[in-house]
Amino acid sequence: MMTTVQTASKKKGRKIGKSWTIHLFPIPALIIYGLFVLYPILAALSYSFYSFNGFSRESFVGFDNFVTLFTTEPYGSMFINAFKHNVLYFGLQMVAMNGLAFILAFIIYKKVKGAEFFKIAFFLPRLLSVIVVGFLWKLILNPNFGTLNILLGRLGLEELQRAWLGDPNTALVSIILVNCWFGLGFGVLIFLAGFQSIPGELIEAARLDGAKGMTMLRKIYLPLMVPSIMIMTVLTFIQSFEAFELVYAMQGSMGEPYYSTDTLAVFFYRLAFGSSTSGSSDALGVGSALAAVLFFFILICTMIFLKFTNKKEVEM
Amino acid sequence: MRKMTRYLILFLFAMLVTIVLAACSDSGDETATDAKDGNSEKEVTSSEEKVEEKVKLTIGSWRTEDGPKYEKVIALFNETNPNIQVEFSPTKNTEYNTILNTALQAGEGPDIFHLRPYAAGLKLADAGFVEPISDIDGLDQYSENYLAASKGADGEQYGVPLNISSTQFFYNKKIFADQGLEVPATWDEFIEVNEKLLDAGITPIAMGTKEGWLLSLTHGIVGSGVLDGNVFADKLVTGETDFSDPAFVESIEAMNDLKKYFPANSEGLGMDDIRTIFAMEQAAMFPLGSWEIPVVSELNPDLDFGFFPMPSKNGNQSVTTWVDGSFAINAKSKNIEAAKTFLEFLTTKEFGELFVDEFKMISAIPGITSDDELLGELSKTVESSSTPYYWVVNFVSGDPTTKTVLETELQGMYLGEVTPAEVAQKVQGNAEISFEPFK
Repeated sequence: MMTTVQTASKKKGRKIGKSWTIHLFPIPALIIYGLFVLYPILAALSYSFYSFNGFSRESFVGFDNFVTLFTTEPYGSMFINAFKHNVLYFGLQMVAMNGLAFILAFIIYKKVKGAEFFKIAFFLPRLLSVIVVGFLWKLILNPNFGTLNILLGRLGLEELQRAWLGDPNTALVSIILVNCWFGLGFGVLIFLAGFQSIPGELIEAARLDGAKGMTMLRKIYLPLMVPSIMIMTVLTFIQSFEAFELVYAMQGSMGEPYYSTDTLAVFFYRLAFGSSTSGSSDALGVGSALAAVLFFFILICTMIFLKFTNKKEVEM
Repeated sequence: MRKMTRYLILFLFAMLVTIVLAACSDSGDETATDAKDGNSEKEVTSSEEKVEEKVKLTIGSWRTEDGPKYEKVIALFNETNPNIQVEFSPTKNTEYNTILNTALQAGEGPDIFHLRPYAAGLKLADAGFVEPISDIDGLDQYSENYLAASKGADGEQYGVPLNISSTQFFYNKKIFADQGLEVPATWDEFIEVNEKLLDAGITPIAMGTKEGWLLSLTHGIVGSGVLDGNVFADKLVTGETDFSDPAFVESIEAMNDLKKYFPANSEGLGMDDIRTIFAMEQAAMFPLGSWEIPVVSELNPDLDFGFFPMPSKNGNQSVTTWVDGSFAINAKSKNIEAAKTFLEFLTTKEFGELFVDEFKMISAIPGITSDDELLGELSKTVESSSTPYYWVVNFVSGDPTTKTVLETELQGMYLGEVTPAEVAQKVQGNAEISFEPFK
């Protein structure tokens, strides 16, 4: 923005006064952005340095909240527990959602019959509200009335029937797979756009050179798809570490059962706003500290990702 | 990339500056609100002069669903007090605490508000946001236990108790009659009933362990059976005994032993599931609160169900009760006298009768009967033989609260992750930090 304005003013010479006023135009937008985006973020960060009594802010305590978060039980072990779940969330989504989305996008790209229909069909869940998705799958996964267990019973697979959301061994994986179902269509769209932007001449040239099958995929498609893959990785990473809605909709703010579906964002909600069952909480300061940690963790990891991508692109 | 790092540093610096600024500006705000307080005091004196004219009161509450019912309450109040205009303006249950706290801190908020019971509400009283009302008429009729829900640390009364919640086992009368079962009068008979139902191929207890609050609630009921009603509870709240008591561990073990009477996959069942199971007559008993009576009846109007107070080993029987809410006056209200008149009205028999009829809840006022047979019987039992629900009354402080720890650990126990002894140990560990008599 700056550079274009400056070059424009250089060309026109004397109109410096007029060009200066141009800088005033973003101000309304900046005020709105500052008030509703920057200020809340910064306020939350500042809260992490104060102690709280209910909702009233008490005294400045420096880094005490951060120390409490990592060293005081039960916060410390809850943090590690939730963090592990976020990592699993990310890993499983990368494999199950993005892996499948990549394959599906490739098939659609190859123009199978009904490609347009599949593209829409995969994207359809994305149009539902997350709360609706959570409610829907809660019904499907219900142990005694749910479709999934009834279906398994009909197929004679009774030994596979279980309380999917009540068993700590399957609860988190169930939720992550529901999230994959929800997000699959978006991945397909991004990857499909990536495939379609590969120049046709390049593929033709590779064909003429005798490349086919896996060689084609490894040497041509995959390297050219790196930008799309990186975008999806970064987006999935951010989404995984902010995972909240589905867990809250399906398991409540306690990460039930027995904290087996707890994530950092759910943990934050519980700290800052109290759980739905236990009433008020005094831990707004510790909660803000957790939010700050989460924010900087995502920021730094995303920057490392981006740096890595840029390098990759240069190498090619 | 280097550009990016530079932006990041700039961004972080900007953040730092704003944090410092935010810290400074907030101290400025405090003096501003102080000045505002001064103004409102002036307004109080000027409005008191006009008290003979029409006064307007607002009531804050978390019961958004009760709007039409409160209109009837206000109409009854206006029959005797035509000069006081009352408006009921509730806020969504989950946001009520936040909105009320923020308003009170700014020196605003409704004149009269619904006070959460015990520690959560008393926090507001101890912080000076609530007007003491020990001098109003009609308080002496309430039992000490109910007044305690809104009695401050300074011994002043801050709220008029409104309704009582009670938890107990509901049972399906038809299933009991078909199986030739009697309502149990001792703990051993209770277990016997469960065994007979199990043998007959009927799920004895509609209960799920997916939602933690159902577990503390069930312990409130079952615990009063194992721990002989008030005997343990009385010693517990004075600090005479604690959760390391073998009797308490036994009550947790009893909870664990009940699992075989729960429906299949009980670890995955929540509130809606177990209510449906009981209402659709797929289970014989249902451990839950008085507030479920209208909900279950609506789900299956043909269901013939009753309740029984939990019998103990010695044959004592009790339902588990606590005050669900009280009404209190905002200390910054401009119409404190009018508000006190309204609170006095809330202690009258006329209000109590209207309340029970309209709200289908148990009134805290003694001697109020109901046309609804089940609710009427329950009200009588609440008055004659009840045990305080100490998880809600005494153990809701700390972070996480002792009640939450109990819920989570019981859930772990049902999943086979912890033993009953460990549950008791963890609950005790938490209570030692947050419960005054244990310190």
